[in-house]
Order: sequence, then C-alpha cells, then structure tokens
Amino acid sequence: MAAKRMKRYLQKELNGWVIISIIGAAVILLPMLFIFFSIFQEPNENWFHIREYLLENYVKNTIILVVSTSLATVFLGVSLAWLVAAYDFPLKRFFRWGLILPLAIPPYIAAYTYRTMLSYTGVVQSTFRNQFDYQIDAELLSFSNLRGAIFIFSFFLFPYVYIIARPFLENQSTAFIENARLLGRKPLAIFFKVILPLSRPAIVGGAMLVMYEVLSDYGVTSYFGIHTITTAIFQTWFGMYDVDSALRLAAWLMIVVVGVIMIERLLRRRRRYNLNTKSRPLVPIKLKGIFALAATFYCSVIFLLGFLIPFVQLISWARLTFSKVWNETFFTLMYQSVYVAIIATAIVLIISVIVANVCRSQSTFSYVLSKLITSGYSIPGAIIAIGVLALFINLDKYLAPMYAYLGLGSSKLVLSLSVVMLIFGYAIRFMATGYNAVEVGFEKMGPKFSEASRILGLGKTKTFFKIEFPLLKGALFSGFILTFVEITKELPLALLLRPFNFDTLATKTFQYAKDERIHEASVSSLIIIGISVLSVIVFQMIDKRVKQ
Amino acid sequence: MNIVDIQNLTFSFSKKAAPVIKDFTFTMDKGEIVGVLGSSGSGKSTLLRLIAGLEMPTSGNITIASTTVVNEKLFIQPENRGVGMVFQDYALFPHMSVKDNILFGLSRLSKKERQLRLIEMLDLVQLKDFGNRYPHELSGGQQQRVALARALAPKPNLLLMDEPFSNLDSELKECIREDLRRILKTADMTCIMVSHDKKDVESICDRSIIFGKKAVSLNNIQTKVLQTC
Repeated sequence: MAAKRMKRYLQKELNGWVIISIIGAAVILLPMLFIFFSIFQEPNENWFHIREYLLENYVKNTIILVVSTSLATVFLGVSLAWLVAAYDFPLKRFFRWGLILPLAIPPYIAAYTYRTMLSYTGVVQSTFRNQFDYQIDAELLSFSNLRGAIFIFSFFLFPYVYIIARPFLENQSTAFIENARLLGRKPLAIFFKVILPLSRPAIVGGAMLVMYEVLSDYGVTSYFGIHTITTAIFQTWFGMYDVDSALRLAAWLMIVVVGVIMIERLLRRRRRYNLNTKSRPLVPIKLKGIFALAATFYCSVIFLLGFLIPFVQLISWARLTFSKVWNETFFTLMYQSVYVAIIATAIVLIISVIVANVCRSQSTFSYVLSKLITSGYSIPGAIIAIGVLALFINLDKYLAPMYAYLGLGSSKLVLSLSVVMLIFGYAIRFMATGYNAVEVGFEKMGPKFSEASRILGLGKTKTFFKIEFPLLKGALFSGFILTFVEITKELPLALLLRPFNFDTLATKTFQYAKDERIHEASVSSLIIIGISVLSVIVFQMIDKRVKQ
Repeated sequence: MNIVDIQNLTFSFSKKAAPVIKDFTFTMDKGEIVGVLGSSGSGKSTLLRLIAGLEMPTSGNITIASTTVVNEKLFIQPENRGVGMVFQDYALFPHMSVKDNILFGLSRLSKKERQLRLIEMLDLVQLKDFGNRYPHELSGGQQQRVALARALAPKPNLLLMDEPFSNLDSELKECIREDLRRILKTADMTCIMVSHDKKDVESICDRSIIFGKKAVSLNNIQTKVLQTC
C-alpha cells in the first residue's frame, strides 16, 4: 500500500525540475560537507601550534569585532530609521535613500581610504599642520587597530539594520506609536520604551547580516593587521600551505555560524507572534527649530562619514592617477571581473528559478530544499573557498585518468587551477541573493496562472517558458543586478579561489592598497562603488513599487 | 453515460488535520450542469482542485470520460486530464491578448484549426471585436467571458467553474447568468460550478450538491446535502 502511494506521489511530484533541484542542492552542500568532515580527521602538528598559541587571540578579536560592531550598527541603524520614519525635517527625503549609500562602499575600500586620510601625509593631519600649524597626536588618529575596524564596519554596514528597521517602523508600528503618543509619552521615552523593544525582530535580522559580514571579512582585518578566525584561515593556507588546518579552522567557524543562524531562526520564529499584520503608514511629525536642525545634523554627519567623505577623497585620488591606471591592463581587469560575475550570476539565476519553482508547493521537502540552496549566504566566503578548494583538488584526483587520456598529464590539477573554481564559489556564496529575488517574483505571481496553464494542457516546462518566465522578468532583473553587484564587490572568496595571475576589480583594489599604492586603488574602487550604487537604485525601485 | 465518476473521495490538507472532504461519491451525465454550494472552508473549491489534478486525494477514485485520472496507485497530471477550469479571478495571462489567451490551450491543433476555433469561441462569448485587447482593457464581465472561452476552446470533457461570479456586481451577474447557461448548453458542456450564492445555482444548474451542515432550500432543482466537516 505504502509503495503504491509512494509511486502515485512520485507520479505527481517527480519531474526534471525536482531532480535538477536535488542535484543542485547536493552540489552546493558538498563543499560544506567536506569542511564538516575534516573535524573528524587526525589533526597535524600545525593545528596544535595554532590551537596552543594563536586560536585564543583569533577568537577574542573576532568576538570583540562582532559584538561591538553589532551594537554600534544597531544603534546607528535604528536611530536613523526612527528619525526618518517618525519625523519630517529638512533633507529627510534625501536621507531616506541616501543613508543606504554607505553599503555601496565595501568596507575594505573604506578602510584604506580612512587610514590614508588620517595618516601623517593624509588630508586631515596635513590640513591641520599646514593651515592651522597644529600637530595632532598621531596616537589619537591611529586607525590600524580594533577601534578603526569597529568604526569602519559600523559606519559602512549600519544600512543593513536601517534597511530592515525603517519599513518596519514606517508600516508596522503605527498603532503602538500612536497609542504611546496619546498616552502622553515623550519622543525619547517612546524610542526606548516602545520602538526598541518592538523593533527587536528587525534589529536581530539586521544585526545578523552585519555579523555575517564581519565574520566573513578579510579585507579590513588583514589590512589593519587584526587577527581573526577568517584571517587565520588565509594565513594557514597561504603562510603555512596547510589546507588541512585551514579546513579545520573553517569547520569550527562554520559551527559557530550555524549556531548563530539557529539562534536567529528561533528569534525570527517569535517575530511572527509579535507583529501586527494590519499595517497602516505612520504619519510623521514635523520637527521645528533646533530639533529639526539636530535631526538634519545627525543624519548629515553619518552620511558624510559613511559615504560622502571617503567618496570625495577617492575621486580626488582618482584624478591624480586616472591617466596612469586607465589602460589596456585595466580594461582586461574590468573584462575579467564582468565576465566571471555574469557567468556566476547566470548560474545563480538558472538554479534559483528551477529550485524556487519546485519550492512553490508548501511542503517540508521544499522548505528544506530552499534552506539548503541558500545556505551559502550566511557562511563566510573564506569557509566556502576552503570547501570548494578541497572539493576541486579531490575532483582533480578522481579525474586524473581522464586528464591522462586527453594528454594533459596524469597528475595535473586542471579544475582547481581554473576559473571554474571561482565561479563555483561565487555561485554557492550568492545563491541566496538571486534565489530570494526569484522567490519574491513567484510569490507575487501566485499559483493561479501556472495552474491555468497546466489545465489548458501545457506541461511544467512549457508553462515556465510561456507563462512564468515573461511574468518573472522584473524579479529576474532585480536578482541579476543584486547578485552581480555582490559578486563584483566580493573579496575573500576571490582572493582564495582565483587562478594564478587572474585578478578581479576587488582583488586588484585590495592588492594596490596592500602595496600602499592607495592612489592607484582609487579608480577601481570608484568603479566598484558605481556598480554597487546600482543595487541601491534597484532597492529603491523595489521599495517604491511596494509603496505603490 | 457517466462523464464524471467519483468514488469515496477523501482529502485532508495534512496528515494531522481532519479531512475537508470525506468519502464523497458522485456521478454526472454528459451535458449536465451541477452546482456546488456551501459556506467557505467547506471544501467546495478543493473538490474542483482534486478533479483538476491540482491536489492529490488521500484516498478514492476519480474517473473522467471513462479514464481513471486518480486512484490509490495512479495520478494523471492536470495537463493530461482533459478538464477546463474557470478560476475565481479568471487567471487570464496578463501579458497575452484575448486572442492569445484563447489560443493558449490549442497548441495541438493545426494553425488553420486554431484560427477557426478562435473565431468560434469569440463568437460564442460575443467578443468578436475584442481579440486584440489585453485583459486589463476589459470589464469584469468581459474578462469572465474570455476566461470561459479559453476554458472551452480545447473542448474539455468537463468544465470546472470556481465562484465565477464573485468578482462581478449584482446587476451584471443577472445578465451573465442567463448568458452562461446559454453558452454551456450551446456547447453541450458538462460543468461543475462552485458558488456560495444559491441564485447562481438556481439559474444556471440542473441540480446541486450542498457542502456543509446546513441544508439550503433551492427552487426547482434537485438537491443533495453532503455533510462535511
């Protein structure tokens, strides 16, 4: 009986789309399984050295960075979201989207820009020295430390909290805020007693994104010489050439990240019960006089520090080096960045469309499948890179006889020295970005068009091409832009997985900065920022459409 | 001849949930129009989705035009069941014109046959001059007629209609009810129509089934009350 039912179930549910989805999820999971199983292997001598002398410092620095940055971004993100949502003040309409712009500057670019600006020859110290004849204490402006890293992460990652908290406050909190106002509470009391506790789910969601970014970071910490678990993975690999210990470090970091994700899921589950589902937009209060000025000043300071100052500085450096840098080598660099990003984005979108289409049915299978396929986003790039590398080295071993048959030599590393490895890594890491956009598209479309098409005699695949694909175009466009931008900005994964002599805009920028050729780094930095602004524009477009 | 034969049909949304439809048995003759009445949540629309193949029953058999489409060990996909359906909100493809919407289910026919069938359908629903319009350029009543033409075009063995009047105002409803019965009878179509309005059923259907615990009195048509959950 059970076998018959299973056969009938498979007749309904099993098709090419499901099979491809299962294979896709398995392939994505493979590198992570490689990492996980490395824990059970016998550790080598290096590992004992790392554990004895280095690990404590790595873990301590990582915790300090994650906790401090989370607190600071929550403070900045929620306070700005509250100001913009609940009040009217000069330039508010600009700040509403302008405060997302810091996200367009990758933290590693901000790090080298600020450190150079605050250095002895930088614009700050030289202005004071030359214009005011005043020597600032170098220690005061010293930036290559934990304090500097926390500043960079906070001012360039707070939009993650702002983006989630603002719509929540604008649409979901109206009844509570209006009640608190009617009950005679003052704005500050409303903020601390009502807004902060109510925004907890939004805060947790945003802070988690910040945490993933900080845990994933290699650019800022390595540039400032701060040892974290991610930088340790790089050192063990590139410094000690010890892939096994790097895998082991990655495994422990992955366990921490998975733990954090599980806590987040638990907290998110509670959000469902906390939120008021009937939303009504909050009517902002018009601020006057000193209060209006203070609100504009606060937003301006954050915007200046988080976007405009480093952006203007980069432009001024770019003017100095543009003619030197803007040559054929640079075009090759741009071409390489764009082509790997386009191929990886296309792969992400194809797999996303297939899996999201399968996951439209509400079942445990589709829930698990969607979680597996998007798991790469919360896993730091360095971990994915290690997993992908280990997988490809093993794959090369298995394929050695085939290489020999093709006359490539029997012990040749073909796949693990090719750009395929980098594209594969990108696809795993950013599958969630594309998938989420496509999933939203399918949700908006609803099941009725597809059902109508099936009843009119078209199969699942024909229904996709004739009905779902034309209706999904908008979602695919947003998914393409967002994924493309994320890939173009990505650093740690690209540093670890790129083939020899292959650079992307991100790796070249970082290399210039590391070599203290800051001015040369500015042109590629500005291009990365320009591309990232695209994602801000797309985000705005989506926001506008939602509002309409 | 029975065109629809449903035996002991049971369905629940999950293993733990109580069945929405339990041991439902029902037959229909060719050309018959049957109305399904009932309160919301009584399983009316679910019955249509089970017949169409959009849901899988927990147990029971469904046979359409002498072909078993689902039983304990068999499941035929919706596209192979020979069933037409008019959805509650019509589900007209927004990126296609009226013409293309109607032609959509006719891909198995030759080009010439498709064109003939298109003209026939536009004639039947009296929308000859509206072929090149897009769904958003039509009134609610016109949209409903396009949905009907699209569903009838492939000549299905059975037409399912899920609350086809719910998006129309009451004046328009009166007018369209008569129209709909005329169209269905002209096409000699076997049809199951779900509605929550007994007037719809009275004016269009030959007989009715009532889902739910309460019996409703209907004028001039044969009624069977089905006790569901």
